[in-house]
Amino acid sequence: MKAGEPGTSSEEASHLPAEKALGEPLLSCEKLVIGYGGKAMLPPIDLTVRRGQFVAVIGRNGSGKSTWFKTLLGLIEPVSGSVSRAGPHVRSAYVPQTSAIDALLPVRTRELTAWGRLSGWNFLRPFAARSDRHAVDTAIDTAGARAIAHRPYRELSEGQKQRALLARVIATEADLVLLDEPTAAMDAVAERETMQRLCALSRERGLGVVVVSHDLIVAAEHADVLLFVDRETSAIVMGDARTVFCHPAFRRQYGDDYCQRAPPGPHRGTDAG
Amino acid sequence: MEQTLVDPSKWEQFRAGWELFRDPILCALIAGCVLGFLSVYVVLRRMVFVSAAVTNSAGLGVALAFYSEIHLGMHVEPVLGATLLAVAATLLLMVEPARLRLSRESLLGMAYALTGGAAILVGDRISQEAHDIQGILFGTAVLVTPEQLATVAIVGGLVLFIHLWWYRGLTFASFDRVGASVQGLPVRVLDTVLMVSIGVMVGVSTRALGSLPVFAFSTVSAIAALVLDLRLPWTFLAATLAGGIAGVGGYLFAYFNDFPVGGSQTVVSAVLVGLAMAVRLVRNAVSKPS
Repeated sequence: MKAGEPGTSSEEASHLPAEKALGEPLLSCEKLVIGYGGKAMLPPIDLTVRRGQFVAVIGRNGSGKSTWFKTLLGLIEPVSGSVSRAGPHVRSAYVPQTSAIDALLPVRTRELTAWGRLSGWNFLRPFAARSDRHAVDTAIDTAGARAIAHRPYRELSEGQKQRALLARVIATEADLVLLDEPTAAMDAVAERETMQRLCALSRERGLGVVVVSHDLIVAAEHADVLLFVDRETSAIVMGDARTVFCHPAFRRQYGDDYCQRAPPGPHRGTDAG
Repeated sequence: MEQTLVDPSKWEQFRAGWELFRDPILCALIAGCVLGFLSVYVVLRRMVFVSAAVTNSAGLGVALAFYSEIHLGMHVEPVLGATLLAVAATLLLMVEPARLRLSRESLLGMAYALTGGAAILVGDRISQEAHDIQGILFGTAVLVTPEQLATVAIVGGLVLFIHLWWYRGLTFASFDRVGASVQGLPVRVLDTVLMVSIGVMVGVSTRALGSLPVFAFSTVSAIAALVLDLRLPWTFLAATLAGGIAGVGGYLFAYFNDFPVGGSQTVVSAVLVGLAMAVRLVRNAVSKPS
């Protein structure tokens, strides 16, 4: 199935309300086909992530969302099509799952945040510049991570770990942030707080955000665009919560409840406060 | 007047023969420090078995160099053989094993077994150098040549210099590979530099000190440092010191107690882990709020 056919991406994507009002493109997927060993997992995807846009990728286990995300990160070659940044000036940052940072690693929040200042070959300067140190301090304050700045990452709670990783994202001064299930292993309160912080960051700094999420309701509450992928039915559905949740391919996997509860139109959650 | 002849004490013998012992002690100090520094990457990147396979490969490289000299009439410097095979093994182990439908552990296990077995087989055919081979595999060599010391010092100095210079990039790329890649760091270059430096340092140190202590320096030193639960830069420093102490302490322990050097250095490495654990227990007890 190709984008443009019923139940796939381009039909919905062409009239996404959020896209019209948002900023410059940061990342484009053009007829992107993902898969392994030359075998396509999903139909082609056309997607443009713009400045200030919040895209949530949802789907069941094995649906292809992780493969799509890895392709976006450049870790896997696309089967066909392309992923391109709008230009060399577009800076990207990645937020792994909190568990992806090895529990053995004796790194403190401040050191982790300082990694956010590294890009390209600037590590050849053996010591951080004063401006970098200042940016790290500011990022820690902005993320509300001052109290945990000198604590070992491994000793932090899940919510605190995510705050430390957000501090690193802020330190990167990135235009585009890619997050891999940032709220996995969190309780409901920490999850909502994290998504609210992300939302606020996206709005205030004009960040393009792409997040892989398992929590459909939280994703629907905060994202401008939901991208539902389903390998089983070869479906890609893109749009606001109602468009996605009421699509037959989605209902086949998750039932009708979400469609009835879906808020109409794009929704950007509430402020982090 | 009758004069009693008293054997000079071990300490006096050591002082008298200092010129003889200076080079191996210096060599153990340098190799211990540099490998101790590198051990933090080895342990935190879960590459302990890589280190074992690479040190075994270095041992095989030395054995092959002797073999080619004796049976093929071709002179190959043993240190070159050790370094070449260590680097080759390191680069080979960097290959993504999923391509071969294998796990990394299985590939490492195979490399370890193959190189260890091959070293024994090659050693069996070069009886003239059997003592040297024994020394290389178990680190029983008491002395090092000035060339070996110079090689270890130069290579060790270069490795440490590059690692301190590139510290920020190497740590980021090592401990959050995807994050570093997304931020545009040359992760493959950094990975290659790390792995080649481990391979080269293991290669030159194995020729001078033997496989067993080299393996201990490149793994156990970091364990002692990590037990102390310090910040990352201090962990590197502590591992560097632990490697150096194990190298020198092990040599002295072996000399004063008539033990094999390599075994002593290995045991001292492990004893340092025990000491680090004791320090941590005391520190926790002191800092525990009453």
